[in-house]
Amino acid sequence: MDKVDGTEHYNFKAPADLATLQVIILDTNPLAWATFEKSSSLSFPSALSQLLIFANAHLAFSQSNRCAVIANHIDGVHFLSPADPGTDHRDPGEADLTLEDLKEIAQKNASKYRVFRLLEDEVRASYRRLIANTTPEAVMASPNASYLAGALSAALTYINRICFGGMGGRSGGVPGEEKSNVNSAGGKVDETGRTMHAKILVVSVTPDPANQYIPVMNSIFAAQRLKVPIDVCKLRDSTVFLQQAADATGGVYMEPEHPQGLLQYLMVGFLPDHLARQSLILPTKVDVDFRAACFCHKKVLDIGFVCSVCLSIFCEPPEGAVCSTCQVKLDVASLENLGKPVVLPPKKKKKKKAIDSLPGSGVASAADSPARTE
Amino acid sequence: MGSQAMKSFEHLEGLSEAIFKRLYQQPATALAVFRRMLPNLAKTFVMAMLFNPDPVPVSSLEACVHPDQNRLKEEAFAKLRQLYIVIERQGTFALDATFKVELRKALTGGGAPGSFGLPCDTEDKNRVDIAFLDRYAAEQWESILHFMVGNETQSSRRPSEGVVRLLLHGKLMEQNRASGTVITQLGFSFLLQEVNSQVWTLLLLYLDMAEQLRMDPVDILHFLFLLGSLELGQDYDMKSLTPTQKGMLEDLRDYGIVYQRKSSSRRFYPTRLATGLTSEIRSLRSPAATLANATPGNDENGFLIIETNYRMYAYTNSPLQIAVLNLFARLISRFPNLVTARITRESIRQAISKGITAEQIIDYMTANAHPQLRKNTPILPPTVVDQIRLWQIEGERMKATSGYLFKEFAANMEFNAVCKYADDIGVLVWVDKNKGMLFVSKHEQIADYIRKRAQSNR
Repeated sequence: MDKVDGTEHYNFKAPADLATLQVIILDTNPLAWATFEKSSSLSFPSALSQLLIFANAHLAFSQSNRCAVIANHIDGVHFLSPADPGTDHRDPGEADLTLEDLKEIAQKNASKYRVFRLLEDEVRASYRRLIANTTPEAVMASPNASYLAGALSAALTYINRICFGGMGGRSGGVPGEEKSNVNSAGGKVDETGRTMHAKILVVSVTPDPANQYIPVMNSIFAAQRLKVPIDVCKLRDSTVFLQQAADATGGVYMEPEHPQGLLQYLMVGFLPDHLARQSLILPTKVDVDFRAACFCHKKVLDIGFVCSVCLSIFCEPPEGAVCSTCQVKLDVASLENLGKPVVLPPKKKKKKKAIDSLPGSGVASAADSPARTE
Repeated sequence: MGSQAMKSFEHLEGLSEAIFKRLYQQPATALAVFRRMLPNLAKTFVMAMLFNPDPVPVSSLEACVHPDQNRLKEEAFAKLRQLYIVIERQGTFALDATFKVELRKALTGGGAPGSFGLPCDTEDKNRVDIAFLDRYAAEQWESILHFMVGNETQSSRRPSEGVVRLLLHGKLMEQNRASGTVITQLGFSFLLQEVNSQVWTLLLLYLDMAEQLRMDPVDILHFLFLLGSLELGQDYDMKSLTPTQKGMLEDLRDYGIVYQRKSSSRRFYPTRLATGLTSEIRSLRSPAATLANATPGNDENGFLIIETNYRMYAYTNSPLQIAVLNLFARLISRFPNLVTARITRESIRQAISKGITAEQIIDYMTANAHPQLRKNTPILPPTVVDQIRLWQIEGERMKATSGYLFKEFAANMEFNAVCKYADDIGVLVWVDKNKGMLFVSKHEQIADYIRKRAQSNR
């Protein structure tokens, strides 16, 4: 009777059927790229072309696959594709082309698959607009600026809109009720209510923005909850946050040794989608640097103090003994005992007790200021 | 949905190596084959090898895959070999050179102009918009389906001779001396398919016939895959087409796949049926879709309501849809906008005897379910669905599987190892451990495995 068993109605279709949205977060800090080019001979235009081929490859997998590109710029986060509806769509590079040139471009366009062409044109035009609006002073003022937290938030909200219809991990309905295979608009959804899978690729040449530790961590947890893997391609400057991001969300972290072959790294490590990743073992970093940054000074530390209520991390006891996140009064008095042995050795009642107690007092004096071993 | 279209593509897998080599000479075709005919893991492998100039050792590809996903890996490799995309040489895989070059061109846009359609550079005096194209496609397609079902209303014309010849050739209809052309069993199951697969079925029949007409099948396939990559609403020039392809245009006009104002005009417009050729998105929702509902993803035009007491209510007055319902349900009464019917044992058994499967009926009902019904989970009442399947298997008392029997193994250990391997790659059908016999559906891989073991033991 197994063949007519009706329980297959209640099982949702395998996630294989859903398409994938690939969001690429690209560092566009011009100074960082210039520095990188000197050491690796990979220029930004070349990297952008290789990245666009990677995006085309992603779109080639299926007609319903989509791609979005976000620029992590020195003054904030900009969507390169899809472009903001309100922006001026004129391409600054095409302003002074003659009719002949335009015809030639139209001919060349005929040899490129329309979907690929639209993405590439939009990304390049948006980037040219972005650079046209950036002044050299702004670039010099902030050599290592990176709005990683903003980029991750923008990516996740975009994914929320496209893949979850704004519901994002919150599935309505009574728990235990059978989830429908089809949502009310007739589109296919799986049991978490998503219409598409999503993944984020971060291509970064700037170091960690330590002052954005908390927002970055929050974004990582949100991505974890939405089951969106964050892949990281770190071209320069090792990082702590992004390693943890890749590790926590099940993404791939790579620091390419030969950046000129960026395309091959992208194709092998970052292209496989949700379904393929279940079958493949992808090259990623295994020894993750799990250090955190303190909440007060944004320093990366190994050992620190943790609030017992909200678990926020400090490098030294906060002023006024009040946790800055949850405003709870912390008991700092017990900190004086830090470093002292719990059971004191019996004081020897001899003349030499002054000498014997020296080690004891030495320990006590070390506990006056909070022990900080780094 | 996707599985039905895949079946149409499976027909293409039987083509010869020479044809495949010529097929891969166009970037549009390479892209379409990549996109539609490969399983997911195979696509990943191809992309990993695409920009690698050297052949890749098989062992490094195998090392990337989880040990317990062997079946998927073997399936991927088998598909790649079958489509002549990879050449296996001394334990390394190399992508077929033409395929590699053309797929790279597709990704980087380096192909010849017109490889993805040459848009017209002059303005069309009689420009048509997308709504017109949708209407045209629906009209043409429906006239074919109406003709098949046998009711020609005055609004739909009889399809052209070429179409009728095609239907006869494909055994979807047959010549009956008494009553002209009537529909056959195959024709019935064709009617119940969804539009994308119907289009592909007709096109594959066309491909078959073309060889008789001495048209080059490779050219035809190139053109079909090119059509799949065109943009809706854009007019294209005929300059870049070969003579075979220009000849095809007229036939394609009859099916409603492209629109040309007249045979002599220099430009053509692809309709939604064309752009949906290589996509999984549904083009027209159902044969009688109205204009407003002909956009993909809009499922508002379902008309069927099924109740748990096997009654069916269809809010339609299209003769085509009513004729299709008549195939598997007993119609009771008809109102201006409603038809009531009942699904009974006799009606289902009649449908089964005509060659329609329970899956087709269920898919058809799901696809055309009323929006009110869609809010249920699951969409169709499970009692009805299960009962239709039960009625179908009432007729199937025995099931025959053809395959190969392996017996008289030398050692028990070898028998167990071969058993496990067969299980891993998913071809094992039956095994009797006491007698040392096993039955598999495909023997080549097992034979290879046994030979390799024998060699390594030696």
